[in-house]
Amino acid sequence: MANEIILEAKNIYKSFSGVPVLQDVHFEVRKGEVHALMGENGAGKSTLIKIITGVYSKDAGSIWWEGKEVQVSSYADVQKLGIACIYQELSVEPPLTVAQNVFLGREPRKFGLIDHKKMIKDTEALIKQYGFPLKATDLVSNLGIGLRQLVEILKGLSCDSKLLIMDEPTASLSGKEAESLFGIIEKLREKEVSIIYISHRLEEVYRLSDRLTVLRNGKNAAVLNHDEIEPRKVIKTMIGKEVDESAGSAKEMRTNPNEVVLDVKDFSDDIGRFKNVSFQAHKGEILGFGGLIGAGRTELMRAIYGIDKHKSGTATLNGVELKYTAKSSIQAGFGFVPEDRRNQGFIPLLSTVKNVALTNYDIIKASGPSISDKDERDMGIRAIKQIDIRPDNPDKEVGLMSGGNQQKVVLGKWIMRDLKVLIVDEPTAGIDVGAKDQIYAILEDLAKQGVVVILVTSDLQELIRVSHRILVMRKGSIIKEFNSGVVTQSMVLEAGSGIVD
Amino acid sequence: MKQQNLRRIISLGMLLVLVALFSALSKYFLNPNNLLEIIRDAAVPGIIGVGVTYVIITAGIDLSTGAEMALVAMVMANIYRYTLIPIPIMILVGILVGLLCGLFNGIIVAKLHLPEFIGTLATMGIFRAITYIIAIKENGTITSQPMKAYSYAILGKGFGRIYFVTIAFIVISVIGQIVLKNTRFGTNLYSVGANPKAAELSGINIARTRIIAYVIVGFCAALGAIFTTARLQSTTALLGDGFEFNPIAASVIGGVSLAGGYGDILGTFIGAIFMAALENGVLKLQMNTAYQYVIKGCIIIAVVIFDAWFNSVMEKRAQEAAAGGKEE
Repeated sequence: MANEIILEAKNIYKSFSGVPVLQDVHFEVRKGEVHALMGENGAGKSTLIKIITGVYSKDAGSIWWEGKEVQVSSYADVQKLGIACIYQELSVEPPLTVAQNVFLGREPRKFGLIDHKKMIKDTEALIKQYGFPLKATDLVSNLGIGLRQLVEILKGLSCDSKLLIMDEPTASLSGKEAESLFGIIEKLREKEVSIIYISHRLEEVYRLSDRLTVLRNGKNAAVLNHDEIEPRKVIKTMIGKEVDESAGSAKEMRTNPNEVVLDVKDFSDDIGRFKNVSFQAHKGEILGFGGLIGAGRTELMRAIYGIDKHKSGTATLNGVELKYTAKSSIQAGFGFVPEDRRNQGFIPLLSTVKNVALTNYDIIKASGPSISDKDERDMGIRAIKQIDIRPDNPDKEVGLMSGGNQQKVVLGKWIMRDLKVLIVDEPTAGIDVGAKDQIYAILEDLAKQGVVVILVTSDLQELIRVSHRILVMRKGSIIKEFNSGVVTQSMVLEAGSGIVD
Repeated sequence: MKQQNLRRIISLGMLLVLVALFSALSKYFLNPNNLLEIIRDAAVPGIIGVGVTYVIITAGIDLSTGAEMALVAMVMANIYRYTLIPIPIMILVGILVGLLCGLFNGIIVAKLHLPEFIGTLATMGIFRAITYIIAIKENGTITSQPMKAYSYAILGKGFGRIYFVTIAFIVISVIGQIVLKNTRFGTNLYSVGANPKAAELSGINIARTRIIAYVIVGFCAALGAIFTTARLQSTTALLGDGFEFNPIAASVIGGVSLAGGYGDILGTFIGAIFMAALENGVLKLQMNTAYQYVIKGCIIIAVVIFDAWFNSVMEKRAQEAAAGGKEE
């Protein structure tokens, strides 16, 4: 492994509107190595990658490629150097064949027409060289997501790329597809292709990478060689050492003695995104759901609430089985704050009043054949007062508000109801610190009033700080429950990564 | 590959069922002369359908083709009536007008980012209005302008019942299919329609691809205007009114997905013949022509619903095949 360094990013600084995101970050990749990049959400991984691929400009520092300093300002520049990025949301063209995708934009031509024969031959040669389970003439629309990813990798390799960047490549793959991807990564390494591998999944990093760079809060935390990659140690490095109750790095968990409100038994869907999940939630409890992205938490909640279908199992609210439609769940006392706030949580062009009223027209009084404008307005104003939505103008379009206040509007429309269970999915993603505290206070208030709050979050600090009790999911099942004693971020992350004592 | 072939068989099957139905109902339907008439009637919507198919593959739409035809024809009619410019030059000017109309559509859609539906709906109004403004008037009333010059009217004829417009329909469809399947431009149309982000990352100029597609529609509409007016030996300000429906219908029946990314010219070719056979059959049965529109509309609704269902079934099948053998 004493190979030369192919890519080096030195002393990289970057800040967004005054907030430093990367500070003096150093990152290097050797020829033919798989170099993993890890860090908590917000540690600066994607920012670093976007700087390397020319999407963002850096504030300071330099990037060196094969020993020479380079300036990159677009993805095209980067491609010319020989770097290809395999995006999480795949950029393949389903109506075209594998060969057409690989050569898209640079098809070989003869007399102005595409030379299909040569294109297919060259693609077949490439497929053979790397041993991919593909055929050049396959239509991509007929391929599963795992094979589509291989098409994209092949596309990168066809431009003689020396470095592939893979961002969470296994996030949407099945176990078998991931296994085949690992085989291919190992083959690529043998062919001296370097790979930057970004993942949250420790076992993958442990298995694949020659070295690992860990970022924490926008700074280098460590660079580890393969034999130093020890799961617990990596987690410690990612999270840091300081244990501070108030900051939510550790907290005492407890089981709520109140009666059970929500009882979920053996919940499964038909494709294994969640399997035989059972849990109970007690009156006035904030129940946290931890785990890695893709562990099945969001899918489980959507199915309980009734937006998506499940295959077997029951969910009962105060002893009555749910009907598994959003409308009936709302009537039964459910509220749901979705992960994708902007697209699923509120209507940007409507005012606070209208957004709050939207799910509540069944409880707003009628005035003759139409709804009572006054009652509708009163409800909006009540929501604004109760949870301090700013600006407090009830006619302000919600799309123009800050992320924190948008989320308050989403919460506001639920707390106007006689809530029994509120499911919140990643409630503070992209929200500033001050507003986060206010949202936590709202959730805690609701719990005090006896509402069951189910909190799904990938922010460990938030999970530990807000939850009374934590369930950790992994690959569709609940793998660990923390219901007593002091729990730390490391413990949750270890459980989510499959390290269970 | 399989899915496309299956869809092709379905549209061919629809055409055969239609032909069989009308043949059974009317003794005048199934004879060589009538079939040649049907292909002739399919030709103009089919020619315009080549361009419209390109646009729909990029996930766009063009509602202005009828108005484009009218404008092209009226510009030529003015040249015909008021100048001594020779017929071939007049035709070239007509084609130029079509290209400019297409360019205008392309720019407002691809550069100014108007939604295709609204943008081409607006230009439909604009092109039609300009046609009225420049329409030939006698005593202040708009009249139809005869264009009876032999060298022009000959374009409406052919070798017996093999009309020039039929030949043009076949030639342009063949060229259109080759361009779609065997040039970078054709591949770019698919990639822009299916996943514009991926197209951009592959260095494809999305705006240029879309603009060229609209310019091709303009060209095809100009040809349509020339063949139609040569056959009628006149034009009016109302030429092509409501005509924009036909090429779109031909594409949809032929399997071009309105969501973009799927379909080809061969499909549109079949679709155009289907539409012409339908019109012809309704006339042969001496039904009120108003029923034509009811039937056409219902068929479009049925085909679009069918395609949505068909695609979801196919996608599910592909995913199941891909996940085949997946344990857990």
